[in-house]
Amino acid sequence: MTRHIHIVKVHHLSLSFPTKKNPNPKPVLDDVDFGIRDGEILGLIGNSGSGKTMTSLAIAGLLPENAEITGGSIKFAGNDLLALDPKERRAMLGRDIGMIFQEPSTALDPLMTVGKQLEEILTAHKDPSMTSEMRQKTITDMLELVGFTNAVEILGRYPHQLSGGQRQRVLIAGAALLKPRLLICDEPTSSLDTVTTVSILELLKDLCHKLHMTILFISHDLSAVRGFCDRVMVMKDGKIVDKDVASEILTNPKNSYTAELLTNARLDTRILGLEPATVDYSTSPVLTAKGITAGYGRSLFERVKKKAEKKDTNILHDVSLDVYPNEILGLIGGSGSGKTTLIRTLLGLLPHEGSVKIKSSSIGAIFQDPVSCLNPSHNIKWHMSEALRASGKAAKGTDTMARITAVLEECGLSAEFLSRRPDELSGGQRQRIAIAMCLIQKPALIIADEPFSSLDASSSAELLKLMTDINREHHTAFLLITHNIHIVRQICPRLIVMHDGRICEEGTTTDVLNNPKSESTAALLEAERQIHGI
Amino acid sequence: MKSKSGYIIGKIIELILTLLVVSLLVFIAFSVIPGDAARVMLGPNASDSQVELLRAELGLDKPLVSRYFSWLLGIFTFNPGVSYSYSIDVSELIAQRLPVTLGTSAIAMIMVIIVSYPLAILSARKPGRLGDQICSVIGHVLFAIPPYVASLLLILLASSVFSLLTVGNYVKPSDDFFGYIGCLLLPSFAIALPKIAMSFKFLRSSIIEQQSSDYVRTSKSHGLSDFKILIRHVLPNSNVSSITIISIIMSDILGGSLIVEQVFNLPGLGRLLLSAVQGRDFPLLSGIVFYIAFITVILYFISDIASSFADPRIRLK
Amino acid sequence: MEQKKTKNRSPEASIFYTAGLIFLGIVVAAFIISLFWTPYSPDATDAASKLMAPCLEHPFGTDNFGRDVLSRVMSASKYTLLISGAGVGIALILGTITGVLAGYYGGIIDRGIMLFGNSIMCFPGILLALVAVAVFGPSVGNVIWALGLVFAPTFARVCRVGTMEIKELDYITHARIMGVKPLRIMALHVFPNLTSQLLPATVIGLANMTLFESGMSYLGLGVQPPDASFGKMLSDAQAYIRVAPWLVIFPALMLVFYILGLYFISEGLRVGLTKGGKR
Repeated sequence: MTRHIHIVKVHHLSLSFPTKKNPNPKPVLDDVDFGIRDGEILGLIGNSGSGKTMTSLAIAGLLPENAEITGGSIKFAGNDLLALDPKERRAMLGRDIGMIFQEPSTALDPLMTVGKQLEEILTAHKDPSMTSEMRQKTITDMLELVGFTNAVEILGRYPHQLSGGQRQRVLIAGAALLKPRLLICDEPTSSLDTVTTVSILELLKDLCHKLHMTILFISHDLSAVRGFCDRVMVMKDGKIVDKDVASEILTNPKNSYTAELLTNARLDTRILGLEPATVDYSTSPVLTAKGITAGYGRSLFERVKKKAEKKDTNILHDVSLDVYPNEILGLIGGSGSGKTTLIRTLLGLLPHEGSVKIKSSSIGAIFQDPVSCLNPSHNIKWHMSEALRASGKAAKGTDTMARITAVLEECGLSAEFLSRRPDELSGGQRQRIAIAMCLIQKPALIIADEPFSSLDASSSAELLKLMTDINREHHTAFLLITHNIHIVRQICPRLIVMHDGRICEEGTTTDVLNNPKSESTAALLEAERQIHGI
Repeated sequence: MKSKSGYIIGKIIELILTLLVVSLLVFIAFSVIPGDAARVMLGPNASDSQVELLRAELGLDKPLVSRYFSWLLGIFTFNPGVSYSYSIDVSELIAQRLPVTLGTSAIAMIMVIIVSYPLAILSARKPGRLGDQICSVIGHVLFAIPPYVASLLLILLASSVFSLLTVGNYVKPSDDFFGYIGCLLLPSFAIALPKIAMSFKFLRSSIIEQQSSDYVRTSKSHGLSDFKILIRHVLPNSNVSSITIISIIMSDILGGSLIVEQVFNLPGLGRLLLSAVQGRDFPLLSGIVFYIAFITVILYFISDIASSFADPRIRLK
Repeated sequence: MEQKKTKNRSPEASIFYTAGLIFLGIVVAAFIISLFWTPYSPDATDAASKLMAPCLEHPFGTDNFGRDVLSRVMSASKYTLLISGAGVGIALILGTITGVLAGYYGGIIDRGIMLFGNSIMCFPGILLALVAVAVFGPSVGNVIWALGLVFAPTFARVCRVGTMEIKELDYITHARIMGVKPLRIMALHVFPNLTSQLLPATVIGLANMTLFESGMSYLGLGVQPPDASFGKMLSDAQAYIRVAPWLVIFPALMLVFYILGLYFISEGLRVGLTKGGKR
């Protein structure tokens, strides 16, 4: 097994989906030509529809039935795959080629225990010499290899009893069980949080060495392959447009499309010229929360039941915080740290112990998902007047309309949006409508929960600019929850870090980011650094 | 972790509550009836004193709450009282007629399952192919034919094409078991037809949905054969959702057989119900209604328990 | 993705719509024409022309009283449309109000409403309707009320599940934060988003209600003679099924056309809405 020998050689491969109406459609893969070297980790990057998944399915032999290979060949360890019959190709799956996919939550059969599902792989590739005990041993060994310390216990678990990261580990164990030479990973981390992502990538790298596997790593996010892949290919519209050593592509992209992908992957706030308002910490806070303890399932019935089971269902434990006028307060924390529960409590949506005091009556909020933030049954005018009406500050007729258009204009939207419906708007526009709805109520504080995470770089930059403008001109305070350290560094003077339902660190942003005092903050920052490269 | 027994106990409490509400509904329905049962029984020429006497005899003069509890006690001990018009115990009357209704329903249910399952699996294998489309169109049409219309059409077909004239002679199971099954075949088929279509449609779409799910893709990437994936993953998963549909179909079949019995002149619960309605025989009527609802409640209960066995997500929260 | 979402129906959906509208159109046309004109009076007996097979004068034949079957079929469509329409209306109003309340508030209100609804659904629908009519006497009004009550839980379920999903969406959270009153949220923020689920359920409800109504009329507990209804015509025809099959075939066809038309339209709605929603 010397290096630079191609384990997979894709030779001028073309593929399309012909239909009766259109027998010669635009090809999905157009003359794709590359090799995967033995032992390397090759990244395949592209936006959705670029053909990266089809390429991997073609290698695995799992193409949809209506796909037609119109030219080229695929060789695996010297054998022409396209010449093999379906039965032989199927025998290769699991044995020579393993695969893992994007959604670990649905990729395991919910009705079958982990042990049974893994055993199925061994029985499908019949090895008569293997006894039942040997199979169990192989499976537990592999589960331990992918990082389970309680492998025997995991065998009897059902998928819904595992976390997302655990499920992805089980799936990796399944794909690697028969020690295939090639492991195809199709966006394996895109639905996992940063800390889990880092650990999964480490595991894959580790397996790659221990089992002498080659990895084809597919992702839409160019920055995600940093420090993980040896080589990277970039795909666009079914063609490979760029191909180079990973470090070269990430630091010095020669192709213009690759460069575009790179800038999209990171939101650079330095060029925006953001000017948040200055904060006077001697004034009284707009929001004071003291000793908040909260959790779900707090109806009387469930509390009695939980008490009997002696379980602590609280997600937040004794959380206290202040938000000052004019301030943009940053809040970061890993998934499950209680950020979402905290905001829901602050917004008065959850029952809780402890006190929340808000200076002004109204408090606005924008959320992560730009799709569900607006009611699809109504147009923008309805949304705005409903917000105005609810604030109790509604005036009559033309005055109302004037206010609505003024606020919209401030948020960078012209009056022609009034008659539009939410499904006619882009994600960034919808988030701006959501802000406009807050703004029209003249709140002292707006809580923003990961507002950038589903927007592209340019929409995020515009939204960020809008938020700082509002902060400066209306003296509106913001509580900003985000995982983007860049943004926090640029606009938040003060930062709070949450872990396991508690505030584990609080201080000026530079202090917290440069000298993290708690272990969990350090781990969080380290993971962000690896993935997003601060 | 919530245990399986905890889930079952919760379901049993729900079952008892439902039965109580059902009994209350039935009782209230027959207590607010316009017209006095005693007067109806005695006819318009009876004197007031005669009516009073009968009311006392039937217990109609007691307060509503105590009447409810004595009725409830009677109905749960399978002793709901004496029929006004037949002067026999209601439970005895129902027991006589039950074999027809239950037999028809059971045969119809078996027909639904043995026809719709294989067809759905075959159809879902290659969705959009000619065979699948033909099945789907036939399914839509059958779905729209009311069971009693199907019965009439079957009778028409049987008499004109096969010159069968013996439609509608009931044979007791104790006399000749195969004769009993034989005489119920045609009515069962008539009830089953639209339900076969319904079950086929549901199963087919459920199998297609499961086939495109992520875990099937995982299994394919593990090198499992299509047949193995179908048997071990697709069908068990589609069964989880079809258990509920099957229980709804069972309840529909039971309701359908009440009417179809009438078309085929079978002495089942349907005919008894109709005569109870016409004779305003309320002990009989309330008995039939409650026991049919009772059977349905038990069916739903069994389907809930079956789902919990089929799906670990329900029993291990 | 944003701009394309104008009404581009999938070809599958339009086949269903067209077929459904044709079948439904036949029955509705028969009803509308019958309001102004029928070939003969639907109740006019004619001893000279009993049990005549379909011919030029009587395209659908005549029955055992010499009444023209075509005229009777046309006037029978009136009750089918009236009862299914009014019954679904009642069920829709009752079901939507209780379902949205149960779904929005959850907890004890939800449990109470659903226990009651589930209990009603434990009776095979036809049984409950039969009993209601048996108790209050057979009349068109009672049939409508009975069927409306029997079908209400179905709509309540649809609304409850839909409301529970919508309640969790950000725009409802927004409305709650903004301080919109719960009743206003339910009526103006939640309800309009339920229509995509309620519409197919309504069409299916019309079809199922017709199944029940005709079954009840068949048993003599629905529309009362001398008014014509499909169910009653079929039950009268049964005695003559061997000598005059047309007495069965034409009312049965009309009945099946109506139900089939509704099924096709609901299928079209389902296909169209789910495909449109996913994109």
